[in-house]
Amino acid sequence: MAYHLAILLFAAPALAAIVSLVFRSPRLAEYVTSAAAITDLGVSVPMLVAIVRHGPVLALHGYAQIDALGAWVTICIAVVYALSSIYAIGYMRLLNEEVRLPLFYGLFSGFAFTMFAACVLNNAGVFWIAIELTTLISTFLVGFEREAESTEAAWKYIVVVSSGISLALLGTVLFYWGGSFILGPTYAMTWAALHRSASQVYTPLLTVSFLLVLVGYGTKAGLAPMHTWLPDAHSESPAPVSAMLSGALLNASMLGIARFLGVVDGTRTGRFAHSAVVGFGIFSFVVAALFIVRQTDVKRLMAYSSVEHIGVQALGLGFGGVLGVAGTLYHMLNHSLNKSLMFFGAGNVMRSYRTKEIGGIHSVLRRFPATGTLWLLGAVGIAGAPPFALFLSEFTILRAGFAGRYRWAAVVFVVFLIVVFIGFLSHFRAMYFDDFVQAEGPKLSGLVWRALPMWLAFVPLLVLGLWWPQHLWSIFANISSNLTGGTQ
Amino acid sequence: MILPDIALQTCQVLCVLLLAPLLQGFILKTEERVQRSRGPSPFQPYRDLWKLFHKESVEPDSASWIYWIAPIIAFTAMLIVPILIPVLTDRPLPLSDMGDMLGGGMVLTLGSFAIVLAGLDSGNVYGGIGSSRAVMLGILAEPTLILVLVGISLLAKAMLPFVVNHLLLGNISTYFSPAHIFLVLGFFALLLVETDRLPIHSSTHIEIYMIDEARVLEYSGPLLALLKWASMMKQFILYTIFCNVFLLPWGMSQLGTPLGDLGSVATLLLKFMLVALAVVVVETVQSRLRFYRYQEPLAAGFLFAVLAIISTQLI
Amino acid sequence: MFLARVNSLQASILSSLAILSLLLAFVMLGSHWLRNYVYAFAAESWLIAALSAAVGYFGGYRELYFIAALTALFRGLVLPWLLMRIIDRLQVKRELHSVLQPSSSLVLGGLLVMFAFVIANHMNRQSGTAGSVVVLALTIMLSMKFIGFLMLSVRDEAVSQILGLLVLENGIFLGSQILVPGMPMLIEIVILFDLLIVVACFGMLVRFLLVHAGTTSSRQLQRLVG
Repeated sequence: MAYHLAILLFAAPALAAIVSLVFRSPRLAEYVTSAAAITDLGVSVPMLVAIVRHGPVLALHGYAQIDALGAWVTICIAVVYALSSIYAIGYMRLLNEEVRLPLFYGLFSGFAFTMFAACVLNNAGVFWIAIELTTLISTFLVGFEREAESTEAAWKYIVVVSSGISLALLGTVLFYWGGSFILGPTYAMTWAALHRSASQVYTPLLTVSFLLVLVGYGTKAGLAPMHTWLPDAHSESPAPVSAMLSGALLNASMLGIARFLGVVDGTRTGRFAHSAVVGFGIFSFVVAALFIVRQTDVKRLMAYSSVEHIGVQALGLGFGGVLGVAGTLYHMLNHSLNKSLMFFGAGNVMRSYRTKEIGGIHSVLRRFPATGTLWLLGAVGIAGAPPFALFLSEFTILRAGFAGRYRWAAVVFVVFLIVVFIGFLSHFRAMYFDDFVQAEGPKLSGLVWRALPMWLAFVPLLVLGLWWPQHLWSIFANISSNLTGGTQ
Repeated sequence: MILPDIALQTCQVLCVLLLAPLLQGFILKTEERVQRSRGPSPFQPYRDLWKLFHKESVEPDSASWIYWIAPIIAFTAMLIVPILIPVLTDRPLPLSDMGDMLGGGMVLTLGSFAIVLAGLDSGNVYGGIGSSRAVMLGILAEPTLILVLVGISLLAKAMLPFVVNHLLLGNISTYFSPAHIFLVLGFFALLLVETDRLPIHSSTHIEIYMIDEARVLEYSGPLLALLKWASMMKQFILYTIFCNVFLLPWGMSQLGTPLGDLGSVATLLLKFMLVALAVVVVETVQSRLRFYRYQEPLAAGFLFAVLAIISTQLI
Repeated sequence: MFLARVNSLQASILSSLAILSLLLAFVMLGSHWLRNYVYAFAAESWLIAALSAAVGYFGGYRELYFIAALTALFRGLVLPWLLMRIIDRLQVKRELHSVLQPSSSLVLGGLLVMFAFVIANHMNRQSGTAGSVVVLALTIMLSMKFIGFLMLSVRDEAVSQILGLLVLENGIFLGSQILVPGMPMLIEIVILFDLLIVVACFGMLVRFLLVHAGTTSSRQLQRLVG
């Protein structure tokens, strides 16, 4: 059952990409992509249910394994994919790039395809290849607008991220080498095989390999100080692409870190590994908080908020235990929803006010009564306030922090959370509640397409903030124990 | 009949003394021939020295006793070094453990230092320029030289050049090991710099490029002859170290018979011809570097030395 | 294990090839002309292909011959050709070293090699010839990584940065050939093609940079700050 659902999961974006590229019709490309995305969202939830009920599924001669963790991240990615493709219909029409739109949608679906691939691949080396492919495809999405700034952002993105994940490749090779002492010179580098061999690998080798993988996939995920590409890439790309990058791609990279952390957990280097992850997490959080305070560009503000939340996820993984991992996993979904909401709002506002500067945006509520309210509530949510979902996941991670050895990190977390709250919302106060008479903006078409995803993102955010389903909790607990204990 | 050791050592010094100008003449002639002109005879430096010894010596008013002493110190230093290194024979001669490789390097540097002081002594502008540039080159080249000597000592596990010679003769895999190749390349870069070949080429009389000529600008007559001979002997010594210790350790006399020594001299000249040809080729294909870029070939030499030291630890 | 039964002659051949590749990476660090970088990279790729074939011969891994041929073809011929095309399209021929002079980068590179050696020694548990080959492979791998990152960080020109990335990948490939020659062939081949796609993407981006941003020098790409 899960196997067939997985085939559908992959076939939909592949088909959408091919159709978009072959039939050069913008309208067809738009609708095909949205249909594929909604199909994927519809398929991913039953897939998780089937995996939880019947156990992980192996495919492609063992190269692909759909386990609960992969299925969960697939849901997060599918959510963003669906919301972004609906939003893109409305947004991309504003760009006056009708001729190149099919190329955009083809790349968009290809991007989603490679991210899904990264979630289900069993082999660490092939996982790396999938991540590299996401980089290559998303570069052209980032530089889609052919402006000087976009091209510069795309260049920085590909250079920094490619060099970063080459470190991850080195780490993977060193992991393989370490394992080859125990498992023989030729073996398939599945996560299970790495689990089996990790406890017997020479400890300094294991430490160095893990650090390399952490820094490498951390570059892709946006952990500071390797985050330098993130504000540029996320702010210069078109809004649907920014949402995909922030909401989906960062989660796929954290998946890699989570799996490798699970591999070294329980070995002699496990404590150091967790400390390293906590260190990077807290550093990202602090750096992002400080940069948020001084931002002047609304999309860069959202990008730094992504860095902050990735820091939180890293903290959750580093704190460890059921609480930490569960918090991180819940955080992935909530962040995807919330960040998509924020980027959609930012895109609307940018197009309407024709500027990205916070100083140039005033009285948003006058132009956007309904979606403006959603955007403001989303901002409150992304700063971590109840009753929105991110509060629940951050609170869980805080509980994990205070329960373990890293109390200092939890204290720093709380302090800078307050900094983020104040900084982030002061920018929004300037945009919403300043007394400034703004001229009437142009009426832009496609508002339905651009507003609907915001509602679709907001409602689950509110619901999940008030109610953490018990089923989800047990799934998370299951994933947490599998991550560290190893599967078959 | 095996010659007594004292005779062998004297022969070594005499060999260096008498054959140094021949090497210089050979290099100059080959350079010119490669560039398709006729060039001077290889014995021209002898004639130059003879001419200089018969000229009168004019000293500047502001010269002090250093002016007189420096050429003598330089010349004497160059006479001491051949005692320490393998020139003719394979086995160490009695006085050769007065100093090991670092000691030999120190004596060579002493000679150069004396000439640097001489350049500063008379207060001449060009002397100052020459000395300061020479010292700058020395600062860049000395670490490389020390690291090369350290590298070769690590390879041979001894600091005597004779041990290195025997190691390379006996062990073909050491000869082709990366450490040895890097040391050869590093010392070749040093050789080019210390003997003033392009890309450094400072033995011209054009003011902007002068380094060596500037230091000796105030000298004339026999003192100038001594200085020129000293620099020619330094070149000969460096070539000897390069050939007999690093690159081509074969063909040296093992017992010390007169026939063997003559054969050793002939082989020495042959080896020098090969190295000189290589140097001339390198010179011809390059152009002079600007002064601030002199660090580049020296940095490359430094790098080779570092890589050589690491290679000795690896394999 | 292949490394457990390597003898000293094989070890010295492997070490010579590996160290010569490292030397070519230093040539890239030290020269001024963009074309020289590409030539050095091509020569380095050929050396690594030879090393791969040597490991295949000594260890009896037949599939490594195939990988060596692919490496020589793609990394040794196709990639340099693509890079030359990119260089021809640009108006720059020299790299202007504004941050670090070539001689200083050479010295810094030497120090980084020493650092890599210390780390490699720390990571090694074996002894004897196998141990020294392991340390050699790890040292060369890590030092080529460091040199690649040095090139990426202090160089202005887009082509130099691409070459820094390629040196990084070359280093990993070299290390993996010696340390894990049994790694599944699928992964090695895919990584090879992946590199090709990376360079193609870089080529397209360089064209966009020239057209839209007007320059390929990172010093002048300063519109996005903060």
